[in-house]
Amino acid sequence: MSEAWDDDELLSRLRAAMTAAEAVPREIVEAGRAAFAWRDVDLDMELAELTYDSAVHAEAVPALRADSAVLRALTFAASRLTIELEITDSSLLGQVVPPQAGEVRVQGRAGSGGPLEIDDMGVFVIRGKPDGPFRLHCRTRTGLDVSTSWFTL
Amino acid sequence: MPDSIAVDTLVIRARDGDQRAWEQLVERYAPMLWSICKAYGLDRRDIDDVVQYVWMRAVEHLSRLRVPERLGSWLATTTKRECVRVRRVRYQRDSAEYPLDAAAVSGDEGDDVGDDVARALEEAERNAVLRAAFAELSPGCRRLLSLLVREVPYSEISARLGMAVGSIGPTRSRCLARLRADAALSALMSADAEVREGESHV
Repeated sequence: MSEAWDDDELLSRLRAAMTAAEAVPREIVEAGRAAFAWRDVDLDMELAELTYDSAVHAEAVPALRADSAVLRALTFAASRLTIELEITDSSLLGQVVPPQAGEVRVQGRAGSGGPLEIDDMGVFVIRGKPDGPFRLHCRTRTGLDVSTSWFTL
Repeated sequence: MPDSIAVDTLVIRARDGDQRAWEQLVERYAPMLWSICKAYGLDRRDIDDVVQYVWMRAVEHLSRLRVPERLGSWLATTTKRECVRVRRVRYQRDSAEYPLDAAAVSGDEGDDVGDDVARALEEAERNAVLRAAFAELSPGCRRLLSLLVREVPYSEISARLGMAVGSIGPTRSRCLARLRADAALSALMSADAEVREGESHV
């Protein structure tokens, strides 16, 4: 086969392939392996995808939220529940829409946090800001089981 | 042997809970994630966050991927987007703290790295095929090629492997011929040849 790579080219490509793999810090691979533990085995849980992020649609924010100290606004939507989040300096303010009571857990690399209350207006507050990727798992009293997709602040 | 399983099969197995299949996908694409993050100039801490996020999203996304063999392309795009976002956050923070410094570098904030992402994906797939083909070789060939790849001089190879200097060259060719005979690798080489041919006709 004349079109195949010759010995020198093949060897140098093999070298590149090995170098690329060796250059990757082990933690990068380990993080990938560990992520598998978060595989959703609970098929009843619905995923709320990120549909709005003020950090991406940056120009719209000042006009809408000039009066508050909101640093970032996010919306996650599932078929029957929307989760609105406002990030301030020290906390996350959330609301589920349509408003209903329930509980929310913060899941991050350290595992799953204890349940926090979602009040009758659908409002919840998370003190402090999670470090690294995390997601919010909401269970409402009406029986909805919804998790946001992973995100990082 | 396990490394030669196609991406779509691995995705389907991982989706069904096969941790080993998932780990093979991680090994395959980790160098790509790393090189995209490096291309965006992120520091190590940001890279760790981006990569962790991308892996978690990928696990979440496994069962929703309509075309399993596109996992690589999904990973490349997701990594790129997250790098852009993180860079923008850093930039906004820096411009709040050091308005003048940030203004000085703001001119070239455009997405000039975008094209590199397609290249990183192509490279990652090619490298994975090469590494898988290499893993299939006999231990003798793997030992010899590993030394040649590290550009160890023939005299030292000869001493280490107990092989006459004169037979290193022919053995090298024989091992590379076996590597070339790998099905996935030869498919890759003919695809590459077509591209080259196409370019030479332009």
